[in-house]
Amino acid sequence: MFQVIEPRPAPVPTRGPAVWLRRNLFSSPFNSVLTVVTGALVAFSLFNLARFVLVDASWGQVWANMKLFGVYRYPADLLWRPLSVAAGLMLLLGAMAGVGGRGSITANAFFAFQGFVAVLSVVAVLFWPSVRLLWPLVLVAGFAGYLLGRAWPRVAKVLPWAWALWFALGLMLLYGVTPGSGLLRIVPSRDWGGFLLTLVLFTGIIPSFPLGVALALGRQSKLPAIKYFCIGFIEVVRGAPLIMWLFIASLLLPLLLDVDANSLPAVMRAYVAITLFSAAYMAENVRGGLQAVPRGQGEAARALGLSAWQTTYLIVLPQALRAVIPAIVGQAIGLFKDTSLVFIVGLADFFRVADIVSVQPQSLQVTGGVKLEVFLFIAVVYFFFAYRMSVASRQLERQLGVGVR
Amino acid sequence: MTTSTVPAPTADPRIPFWRNVKTIGVIAQVAFVLLIVAGIGVLVNNVTTALARANLPADFSFLGQRAGIPIAETPIRYTVTDSYARALLIGFLNTLKVAVVGVVFASLIGVLVGVMRLSTNWLVRTIATVYVELLRNIPLAVQIVFWYAAILLPFPPRINNPVALPGGLLLSNVGLAVPWVYPTYRFGAWVPWLVGALVLAVVAAIWRRRWLARRDEVGRVWPYPLLAFVVVAGVGYAVASLDRAPTADLNVDFVADRGRGTVYRQTEAGREPVPFVPVRVRLESAQLRATSQNLVESRERVGSTVRFPLLRESEAESFEIAFADPDAAAASGYRLHFDRFPSVATVYVDRNGNDAFDRGEEFDPDTGVGYNGVEVVMTVTGFERVVVSDRDGQVRTPLFTAPAGETAAAEAATPTPGRRFSAFGPAAAQAGGTAELEATTEVLGVGPLVLSGTSIPVSNYEGGARFTVNYLALLLALVIYTSAFIGEIVRGGIQAVHRGQREAAMALGLSGYQTFSLVVFPQALRIILPPVISQYLNLTKNSSLAVLAGYAELFVIASVISNQTGAAIPIALILIGSYLAISLAFSIVLNNVNARLALVER
Repeated sequence: MFQVIEPRPAPVPTRGPAVWLRRNLFSSPFNSVLTVVTGALVAFSLFNLARFVLVDASWGQVWANMKLFGVYRYPADLLWRPLSVAAGLMLLLGAMAGVGGRGSITANAFFAFQGFVAVLSVVAVLFWPSVRLLWPLVLVAGFAGYLLGRAWPRVAKVLPWAWALWFALGLMLLYGVTPGSGLLRIVPSRDWGGFLLTLVLFTGIIPSFPLGVALALGRQSKLPAIKYFCIGFIEVVRGAPLIMWLFIASLLLPLLLDVDANSLPAVMRAYVAITLFSAAYMAENVRGGLQAVPRGQGEAARALGLSAWQTTYLIVLPQALRAVIPAIVGQAIGLFKDTSLVFIVGLADFFRVADIVSVQPQSLQVTGGVKLEVFLFIAVVYFFFAYRMSVASRQLERQLGVGVR
Repeated sequence: MTTSTVPAPTADPRIPFWRNVKTIGVIAQVAFVLLIVAGIGVLVNNVTTALARANLPADFSFLGQRAGIPIAETPIRYTVTDSYARALLIGFLNTLKVAVVGVVFASLIGVLVGVMRLSTNWLVRTIATVYVELLRNIPLAVQIVFWYAAILLPFPPRINNPVALPGGLLLSNVGLAVPWVYPTYRFGAWVPWLVGALVLAVVAAIWRRRWLARRDEVGRVWPYPLLAFVVVAGVGYAVASLDRAPTADLNVDFVADRGRGTVYRQTEAGREPVPFVPVRVRLESAQLRATSQNLVESRERVGSTVRFPLLRESEAESFEIAFADPDAAAASGYRLHFDRFPSVATVYVDRNGNDAFDRGEEFDPDTGVGYNGVEVVMTVTGFERVVVSDRDGQVRTPLFTAPAGETAAAEAATPTPGRRFSAFGPAAAQAGGTAELEATTEVLGVGPLVLSGTSIPVSNYEGGARFTVNYLALLLALVIYTSAFIGEIVRGGIQAVHRGQREAAMALGLSGYQTFSLVVFPQALRIILPPVISQYLNLTKNSSLAVLAGYAELFVIASVISNQTGAAIPIALILIGSYLAISLAFSIVLNNVNARLALVER
């Protein structure tokens, strides 16, 4: 006999926008109320923000002072110098990205920065005659580096040396060679400023790296004199805020070295303070990596007959540093944000320029001032770079499996 | 089988001493120490010669000198005649003030954000993510200036038109005033009761804990001891307030037309001001004058506005407000519109004839600016206000003048039109001229505590607790910045609790809230606390950015002193010492917490 089977009810859809909405926004009465209330709040705030940004705000002062934001008082006819340094930076970043290959973390970060450069290039071509050709050149340098890296992956071996060369040549190019006038005339560092200075100070992370590694190794040393000196340095420096060290450095460095205060430019004092401060934090990060390397690694190396130096340099450090790359990127983000504190020694970095612009006579003529506009602008720029680095740091963490245990 | 004997590794005499690891270590250390000592010696020598050449102080003796630094916000009494040491102490206390309050609020918001990050609701989750990512990636310095210069300075209205929040809170671009409870001169009578209550609560807690342990029961320790504390303290308060009448030796010398007086007690040594005494001030009839002005407020142009000191409608029997020169006002067609009766009004001309104020009518159509310099007089009858003396025993009221017509001097001294803040400054006092303004004052009875309300007698807050806009901006920025970091730590901690814990709790029938608060969160706390404490330390260190908000904390005051005296070295040592002490305190707390958590662990 046959028994008629009742038709089954249609399967409940498990995908589609309606399901997504129900699951993520209206899963329970409480959640529905929450969605409606927060949704209204968000809509209200976004509407107000959009109205301010698009209607009420007066962006004229921000737009008119782009050169100040970029390089402050760096002579307009010498803008090719900072921009060639930027081109070198993008070339090297591009080479790194090219070696990493498409879709790698470095490539993703590189293309984000390249996008930033592309936007600036378009703006430069359209509106800024003095750097009309220079910004596109930076863009081209980036792509050239990328292609170079793709074509010859072996370029990775010379990259560390290339970075060191870029660092030295870049500073020389920014500062200049000959006194007087001319293409390579000296631009005193008191004329440096804006985003240029922020980036220059940010490079303090480069010298802080070897210093930090040395401090970390010293802290692990069996020799008490070295060990306690390193512990003391690290803990004292980390115990007080950077702004205090900047202040103290600007006051005490000329006294400590017994030189005339004018012969030691503020940029140099701030740079020293930032580097030493960063080195102390770097040392703690590296120490974390050193402690994560199993003891057996070092012991095995010694058993194989490697010297103490070789063990450290060839076996322990490479493993330790690999593990702490995300932490170092995190520290770099912190340092990038902290460069804004150099206002305390009278430097006009990106942050300070915002303040300078907001008290210009033209700014004060605007009803209510332009503080909100100016600080929103620099917040967006800071955010772009810091956020891009933090994304890279998170990807690195995932790749190295540090966060997963 | 033979066993080969390995010689014990003794120091081999054939190894020359210069290749012995131990010797090398000692030599290296000696060399290192010598190098450091030599380096420090050179630096010290440099510093001493440089200081001597520049004739700058190199010891701490300057600390006793008169500082002369005005500080807007002082938790303890401070005047410009106090010493540098006291100024530094104020700075340290101000650092603690912002750090402690900041830590509390950052924790609350941080936990909220961390929980929101894990919400099942997509919208809530996304908001929390955006919050965290946005705030972590913008420099704190930018955020402080943003809150201070871009939001808190321009947006809240001026002090003479504050936002009155519920509960007697006043907010303006000067800051926030909050009604506050202060201990009075009768507080001493309550102290024994408080001590007794505390002892009782501690004893009860110990007893309760033992009782629970003996019966092997799970229960809460604290409800009963807390109840005991509240009951005993409450009874004590009632007993201490039985005698509320003011003591006979309390006097107040209130001068009505100067709007100020002092509550004092006459002693052999002279007058001694008495803080926190309520005084009722009554004026039968008095006048206030104000002149219309044009200004920019909350980023907008405000025209023809008339601002009297803040008066509440309940404070007087009647308010009569009229133009000082009615004929001229009528000729110009001026009318008055009250934005807030009776204190804030707008002068306008009813151009469209609808007998009401419309936006735009406060501006002159020809010039585009408001009607500046129109004088308005407010006559108050039966004004009565209870003022609590401040910590210097001062009592203040608005600067009333005697009603016009009583004296000719008041007429003669009418302030010139266009003068700003005529009712707020000396001009009003001058307007009163020689006229005696009659005021009756009465010192009121009080218990151990008194609630000090907020008011704006002249151009700043009086009474209650006052938080400057500088403090608020710094606090806001620090709290919001730190809460983003704490939120991430909380999220990580909650996620690190094993799924099974949650599932088991749900299986046992606990509600979602119970599962979270009784099972998941306590376990997450173990992971959360250590990094959160280091965030607290970061918040405290970050408060040194106060200079951006103009808040006088330790670093700001230290840098001002350093600039004034040139004592760079002693100031640097004091700063480093203070911050190291704070760091040390935090690491002691952290070690304690870690030890406790380790005990809790299985």
